[in-house]
Amino acid sequence: MNIVVCVKQVPDTATERKLSSKDNTLDRDAADGVINELCEYAVEEALKIKEAHGGEVTVLTMGPAKATDTIRKALAMGADKAVHLVDDALHGSDALGTSHALAQTLKKIGFDLVILGSESTDARTGVLAAMLAERLGTPQLTLARKVDIDGSAISIERVTDYGYDKVTATLPAVVSVVEKINEPRYPSFKGIMAAKKKPVQTFGVADAEIDTAQVGLASSWSEVTEFAVAPPRAAGTIVKDEGDGGAKAAEFLASKKFI
Amino acid sequence: MDFTLPESAREVRRGVAAICARYDMAYWQRCEEQKRWPEEVWAELAKGGWLGLAVPEEYGGGGQGLLELTVATETLAASGAAGGSAFTYVLTPGFGALTLARHGSAAQKAELLPRLAAGELETCFALTEPDAGSNSLAISTSARRDGDEYVVNGQKIWITGVQRAARMLLVTRTIPAAEARPRTSGLTVFLVDVPQAVAQGRLSYRPIPKMGANTTPSNMVFIDDLRLRATDVVGEVDQGALVLWDVLNPERILLGASALGGAEVALRAAVAYAKEREVFGRPIGANQAIAFPLAQVKAKIELARLMLYKAAWLFDRREPCATEANIAKLTASQAAWEAADHAFQTHGGMAYSLEYPIARLLADARVGRVAPVTEELLLNYLATQVLGLPRSF
Ligand SMILES: Cc1cc2nc3c(=O)[nH]c(=O)nc-3n(C[C@H](O)[C@H](O)[C@H](O)COP(=O)(O)OP(=O)(O)OC[C@H]3O[C@@H](n4cnc5c(N)ncnc54)[C@H](O)[C@@H]3O)c2cc1C
Repeated sequence: MNIVVCVKQVPDTATERKLSSKDNTLDRDAADGVINELCEYAVEEALKIKEAHGGEVTVLTMGPAKATDTIRKALAMGADKAVHLVDDALHGSDALGTSHALAQTLKKIGFDLVILGSESTDARTGVLAAMLAERLGTPQLTLARKVDIDGSAISIERVTDYGYDKVTATLPAVVSVVEKINEPRYPSFKGIMAAKKKPVQTFGVADAEIDTAQVGLASSWSEVTEFAVAPPRAAGTIVKDEGDGGAKAAEFLASKKFI
Repeated sequence: MDFTLPESAREVRRGVAAICARYDMAYWQRCEEQKRWPEEVWAELAKGGWLGLAVPEEYGGGGQGLLELTVATETLAASGAAGGSAFTYVLTPGFGALTLARHGSAAQKAELLPRLAAGELETCFALTEPDAGSNSLAISTSARRDGDEYVVNGQKIWITGVQRAARMLLVTRTIPAAEARPRTSGLTVFLVDVPQAVAQGRLSYRPIPKMGANTTPSNMVFIDDLRLRATDVVGEVDQGALVLWDVLNPERILLGASALGGAEVALRAAVAYAKEREVFGRPIGANQAIAFPLAQVKAKIELARLMLYKAAWLFDRREPCATEANIAKLTASQAAWEAADHAFQTHGGMAYSLEYPIARLLADARVGRVAPVTEELLLNYLATQVLGLPRSF
């Protein structure tokens, strides 16, 4: 089975994230790039499926040159090879643009199964899997907490507010995963050293036949016109326990609609 | 000259640090208090191949050398394990894997290296005896030839990690010390199957209650008519000294690295406290009496690190490294002690509270000036072997 995992590099949430004053997009140079956490779960799931059913795992990353670090991390976990889609024309793409670029690349490299994390910690649109499936004309199985494959049949458990839905389809398909699905492995020493020698193919917009009118900042459907630094967090509410602390805390949570 | 660490060593630092990041100071404190092996960290290190770094690739290991082990030990210690708990790392990846990779027979390697690479098998090293510590050539544990076998009798002390070890590297005399010419001849190193020897009633041990480093017990070991085969010998009969130098130099380097990591932990704690604690209306770190000793410790740490890496690098190139190993061990242990002592002073009275890690760091650092070799013996080596001064013994 030919599994492609889409992996994104995001700014480290532990460091301060900034927008660039130049074009109001995320300043990717200002922060350390790390693998998007949910993408690690996607890689893990791809590796598990490969271990159970055979095949090959390809990492697909769209991002600037420094995203190679993230690609190596996914390769160190055990993916076989990678495609790095890197082109200045892609800078500032919104979800529509990104899905076009990734879909074109996926058509070029071929796939039986595409796996993604259900969202990234930087943009958090959570729509990419659905858009990709639409553009590729395949079923979408999103928010999976469990994936089963039997021949060309694929079924998942999709998390919902009330429990889960069982969703089935036939391959090829696009799956997005949530963090409940597995426990991503740490790269082993041998995995890390082997990753340095694994093939990483570089694609530009021309290689993937990407329509430049559909990608990049100029084609984005949304625009950040201005931004301001968030005000510091206000002091919290202190509930004093005078024997009725539990009830008061519950009341507070209920007033905020947490319970 | 290029001081860049090789990529392999940098990956070791990153990989081991990533695992250790999930275990905080409180974790290591708990392990020490409960006298408990750090199972969780150990399992993760094993799974990632970080214990088998020095096992050759053909046996399933990482194919690296002492430099990578040094960086791994230092990283583990600096994460909070400090000298006492990083000791755990020396027993198997160091004593076991490194020694067998270099001196094991084909059969010993085939049997043990894959399991050492996978972190499934642990080892310990038994040299010291009640009457032979610094003067280790004076050991009296004897291995007497009897047909195809050897019969071993003797007593060892301070042997660390026997409880978990599947194999012990046991240093014996096949020629008594008094008859050995030169004094370094007549030593023979054996591999002992510990659980088997215990089951046969030929080996027993008793833990020594100790001041620190309690994640791994240290023991008295009693050996009584233990029968070993010629195939259990590591290296050549009577030529054990050749094996021994390749155990003792890495041991000094790795325990130097664990001391160095411990020094980092103490310095980190001291600096944090010196910034935060305000006395007379200013942070105590603004006083040079507090700041300078910490700055001095930082300088010693960096010096020790350079010499540790150099010693490990020489060892990996199979060049003489004893002088460098001894200087590195001496300096790293002193840095660890000074770091712990100044961390104590910086913390004032709070250092004495077991809520803070200073007591543990102090006990760990102190033993580093005595084990696996005393400061005096290191200085003796430098004085006599390097400076050519007359011997005191
Ligand atoms: C926690 C711990 C773990 C250990 N683990 C192991 C282990 O796993 N395996 C193992 O084999 N051993 C182990 N040891 C033993 C350790 O290697 C010895 O304790 C060490 O070599 C010192 O020997 P000793 O204790 O007999 O001291 P001694 O040799 O009795 O020395 C006592 C003092 O006299 C000084 N001295 C002696 N001769 C001279 C001289 N000529 N000039 C100046 N000063 C001198 C020494 O420096 C020292 O200060 C361990 C020890 C400890 C404390």
